[in-house]
Order: sequence, then structure tokens, then C-alpha cells
Amino acid sequence: MEPLLLIRDLSHGSTRQPRLREINLSIRRGERLALLGVNGAGKTTLLQIVAGMLRPTRGEVLFDGASLHAPGSTARRRIGFLPQQVACYPELSLQENLDWAARLRGLSPRARRAAIDEIIPKVGLEAVATRLAGRLSAGMLQRLGLAQALLGGPELLVLDEPTASLDPLQTEQIRDLLDALSADTSILLATHLLDDVRRLCGRVAVMRQGRLGAEHAVNDDIDLLTHYQDAQEAPA
Amino acid sequence: MSWSIALHEWRRLRAGLMFWLLLAFAQLTIAWLAFAQLEAFARIAPQLKSGGTALDAMDLVITPTLSSLTLMLLLAAPLLAMGGFAGEARSGRLALWLSAPLASRQLVIGKVLGLWLGLAPLLASALLTLALLGLAIEIDWPRFALAAATLTLLSLWLAAVVVLLSCLFEHPAAMLATSYGVLLFAWLLDSVTPPTAPWHWLALLPHVQPGLQGLWRSQDLVFFLVTTIAAILLAVSWLAQRRGEL
Repeated sequence: MEPLLLIRDLSHGSTRQPRLREINLSIRRGERLALLGVNGAGKTTLLQIVAGMLRPTRGEVLFDGASLHAPGSTARRRIGFLPQQVACYPELSLQENLDWAARLRGLSPRARRAAIDEIIPKVGLEAVATRLAGRLSAGMLQRLGLAQALLGGPELLVLDEPTASLDPLQTEQIRDLLDALSADTSILLATHLLDDVRRLCGRVAVMRQGRLGAEHAVNDDIDLLTHYQDAQEAPA
Repeated sequence: MSWSIALHEWRRLRAGLMFWLLLAFAQLTIAWLAFAQLEAFARIAPQLKSGGTALDAMDLVITPTLSSLTLMLLLAAPLLAMGGFAGEARSGRLALWLSAPLASRQLVIGKVLGLWLGLAPLLASALLTLALLGLAIEIDWPRFALAAATLTLLSLWLAAVVVLLSCLFEHPAAMLATSYGVLLFAWLLDSVTPPTAPWHWLALLPHVQPGLQGLWRSQDLVFFLVTTIAAILLAVSWLAQRRGEL
């Protein structure tokens, strides 16, 4: 089966100070891959490239067989992105913030309304739909960010540390939401929380100094902590 | 799609306090200036009539007030543009803008049109106040319409210029200070350079004043169109470069 996302020989940054070096990875439809790594390992840069925010210096990113960064590519519409810091306007309501995200995704007015009506109950925010985003709790904001990423039913969800700043209860709520996603939705998740990896992903790879280490299946046999430590201590 | 972005920007501006403060300030100032000019005109009107001078209420009340409105638009545009790309970067929202599956030109034009929509109520309310003076004084309506068209073009020009400047900074305060510097420079260029200097063409006042006085010149129209399009193209190229499209 052709991978949904295929990254080939991707590098980013200058030759002297590359942020990413010769990254190769693939994600099939419905597959969930976690990128583990310390801050500065290059996880966010890689996610920003996949989300279409940045273009690789070398190499290519193919989405469903077509170049993601080609002029006029429509692939970005099929990717949902949750950045590290949830993007919202505190002076607008939750609904209005979703409307903004839907406009940025290029949805028509009718499609926007339908997508917003569908997503609000899915993320459990019906009770606060008209509340200003500036008055939402951290957990609710993260769910708003997730709702923005899920608008229009993306096939690939790119999540940058979705539970990093949440308390245990809020973390669990976000994990439940991601767990409940359709089996067809692929996920590329950057995190440094091993619990996120265990709970949400089928595969894991460790990033270090802009390089991607070997991938492993996440199952009961794998000791993630040891795997993570080994990857960090391996020669660059 | 740009229009859809513009409507979002308009909604965002309306939701903020700054827009309403500026609207109230512009409205009060224009009303005060107009009535002060009207009072002065009423005092000298008999002398003007007996002296047979060609000056009328349009020259002594409406045009000076419209000149003040120009200055007010110059002050308001950078304040409203603080939520431009610099504001988006500062608030961590730029990620969603940059990853949007829309062309950079659609995003920039949406921002420019949105800011233009934000300036429109300031302009419209001031023009309406002045138009209501038509109940008391004689207004040359074609000339008034030309002045309104000139100010509409000026507000579009302002929107494009400050959106471009908002692209260049990560902090809205830096954008604000630079915008005022650039606009002040464009405003004063007329008085500090000889009319024969090539850069005198960039001076703002010589392109605004004729329109306010009822003179519609093609060179002014060309100035506004060329500089507005240039500012939009530069902003688009910045955004495209930021997204790695160039």
C-alpha cells in the first residue's frame, strides 16, 4: 500500500547549521508515529515542514503520492496541524475562532458551518461554544486547538506536544479524544512524554540533533525509556 | 477567499477595544473641528459676501476638516494594524496562517482588505457628519464625492503599507513605531524636498490635497494604485519567502 506521507532525504537549514539531516520516513493511512526527542532535536521543524509552514532545503515530502510543497498543491487541506501553542484570538468566542480556522482552510460558508457544528460536540466543548477564548481553561484551549486541526476531516493529524502543558486530567481528556479518532486518521506526533507514545502511537522514532533514529513498534515488549536513552547516547 | 479572510479580520477588529476607541475619537474630533470651522465661517461670511471673494463653506469648512481626517487616518491605520502579521507572530497565531492551504497572495490581500474595512467606519462616520452639514451650508456635492473617493484610496494605500510593515516585524510595538516613522516621512517629504527631486513623487500630501480640493488627477490615481500594488506584492513575497515558497 502506498504511504499517505512519504519523506525522502529531507534536510532543512544551512549546510553549516542544519536543523534536519537526511530524514526518511513514511506513514501509512491510519498509522500513528511518535517522534521522541529532547528540545531542539528538530521535531517541531519537521512537523512544521509536514504542516506546510516551511519548505525543506533539500529532499521532498509526498502526500498521497503528490508533492506537498508544489505550487497549487491541495494536499495541505488534508492535513490538520496543532502547533505547540494553540493559535486563537482571546477576544473572539470559541465558535468564532473555529470559524477563523475554517476560513484559513479555505472552506465555503456552508462547509464551515457544517464542520463547526460537527466538531464542537466531538471535542466536548458545546457548553462553552460562545465563551470568549480568553476565558477558557488550558485544557479547553487545547481542545479548541485540536478542534481547529480536525476541521474538514483531515487524513493526517500533525500534533506538536499536544499534552505538554496540561494537568493529568486534561492530559487524559486529550488522549481520549485522540484515541477516539477514526482508524483512518493518521497521526504524526511530537512529544517527550512516553505515556503519550504508549497510549496513542503504534510506532516510535527518536530524533536527535536533527537526525531520525531507527523506528520501533510500540508494544508491551519495548522499554521506551531504555530505547530513548540508547538513542540519546548513540554517536551522532 | 481573500474576502473571507477580510471578513474575519473585520470581525476581529470589531471585537477589540482599540477600534471603538479610535472610532469614538475620530468622530468626536471631526465633529468638534467641523463645528469650530463652521463657527469661524459664520463669523466672516458677511465680510466674504461683501468682499465678493470666491471662497465658500466648502473651502473654509469642509476641505480643512477633511485634511484633518487625513491625519487621523494616518494615526489610526498603524494602531489597527497591530493585529497584522506582527501581532499574529507575537500571539503565536502565525503558525496557523503560515500552514493554511491558501496562497500567500490570498492571505495578504485578505489582511489588507480587512484593515481597509476597519478604517471604513472611521471614514464613513466622519464623511456622514460633514455631509449632514449640508443641511446648514451649501456643499459642492461632486467635489465632496471626489474628496471622499480620494480618502477611500488613501485608506486602501494605508492598509497596504501598514500590512507590509507588519510583515517585517515580530513585535507589534516595533511595527507601530516604524509605521509612524514611514508615514511621517511620506507626510513631510513634500516640505523637505524640492518638487523636481525624483523622490518627491513619493510624497503623500501632493497626491491627497488636489483630490480634497476637487481636482481628480490621473497621476494621483497612478500613485495610489502603483504604491498599493507594490506594497501588496512585497508583503506577498515576504510571506511566500517565510513559507519557503520562493
